[in-house]
Amino acid sequence: MTFAFAGDLAPYLILLVFGFLPSEIWRVMSVFIARGLDESSEVLVWVRAVASALLAGVVAKLILTPPGALAMAPFIWRLAAMVAGVTAFYLLRRSLIAAIVCAETILIGAAWYFSA
Amino acid sequence: MSAVPPSNATVGSDDLGGRTARGWFIEGFRQAASGPMFIVAASLFGVGSLARDAGFSVGVAVASTIFIWAGPAQVIFFAAVATQTPLPAVALSVGLSSIRFLPMCVALLPLLRTRKTGILTMIAAAHFTAVTVWAESMRRLPGLPQGGRLPFYFGFGMACILGTSISTAIGYQLAAELPMPLAAGLLLLTPIYFIVTLLRGVRRTIDWLALVLGLALTPVVAQFLGSGPDLFAIGIVGGTAAYAVQKFLDLRRVGRLK
Repeated sequence: MTFAFAGDLAPYLILLVFGFLPSEIWRVMSVFIARGLDESSEVLVWVRAVASALLAGVVAKLILTPPGALAMAPFIWRLAAMVAGVTAFYLLRRSLIAAIVCAETILIGAAWYFSA
Repeated sequence: MSAVPPSNATVGSDDLGGRTARGWFIEGFRQAASGPMFIVAASLFGVGSLARDAGFSVGVAVASTIFIWAGPAQVIFFAAVATQTPLPAVALSVGLSSIRFLPMCVALLPLLRTRKTGILTMIAAAHFTAVTVWAESMRRLPGLPQGGRLPFYFGFGMACILGTSISTAIGYQLAAELPMPLAAGLLLLTPIYFIVTLLRGVRRTIDWLALVLGLALTPVVAQFLGSGPDLFAIGIVGGTAAYAVQKFLDLRRVGRLK
């Protein structure tokens, strides 16, 4: 009984030690770094730019080396879907929904075509 | 977004702007539930099926959303465990993929703090930071009174984690039956939502330049550096260049005014 209980907990422990901790450490560290910084501090302008560039990098990587099923649509179609989404965003009064619908239509269409 | 008067309170004050802390929490929850929550929930739908492929229970899948709360790290964790990767190597990959939280949280946390905010509250606040919550908070918080920001942020973050926990559980049960083109569509939600959210936050040259450089540097840098350090390098190089250009423009404008 005790053993079975420990067996049920083992996957959670693996998740906490090898998934949660290595990820969370950065968030905790940031609390101590941010402690001395004021909201209007000049360093934050730079940090914000670094974070934005990094997140744009995350987006570019998802399109360049896509996870799982996203790879079904060839690169040029993944790129086309993103460009169409961003264009729709600017043309249609900065609408997030328009961007998503436009990008998704192209991508799902391409994925469907290339899987058929 | 909402009709909240801009704050003119001094930095670090705990002015609530005429609403209770609970009122701000509910407002944050409501604003998340009016859109962003569904995007982040849908974009992590696939994590559930990855967890199942790796042999974990639905409980572990949902726990990964609550505790890790970082799509890429969760994908890496389950995909690596499924392919029998040694656990220390899994931890290293997860750690590298989450470096982005360092600059993100350092930029965000000073917006949330009041004089009364303790260190544990800040650590809890840092946990809620993921791309969606970060981008939306960076855009929405500066317009809120100082005292309302933290409860608003917790409400916003909790709505997102709650919705995503539910979608992770649904994904765990359903993803195998989802047609492949639709599964591909779900995976595109993250990049299209990220980029549009980032574009919505653009105000000055530094903002769009950081985004453009981040996008443009990726194919170049990815060739030379492994996954994880490459993103950090992209952030530092792209962000610093954008900052330098903004400084140059600011200085030139000041010079002209003289």
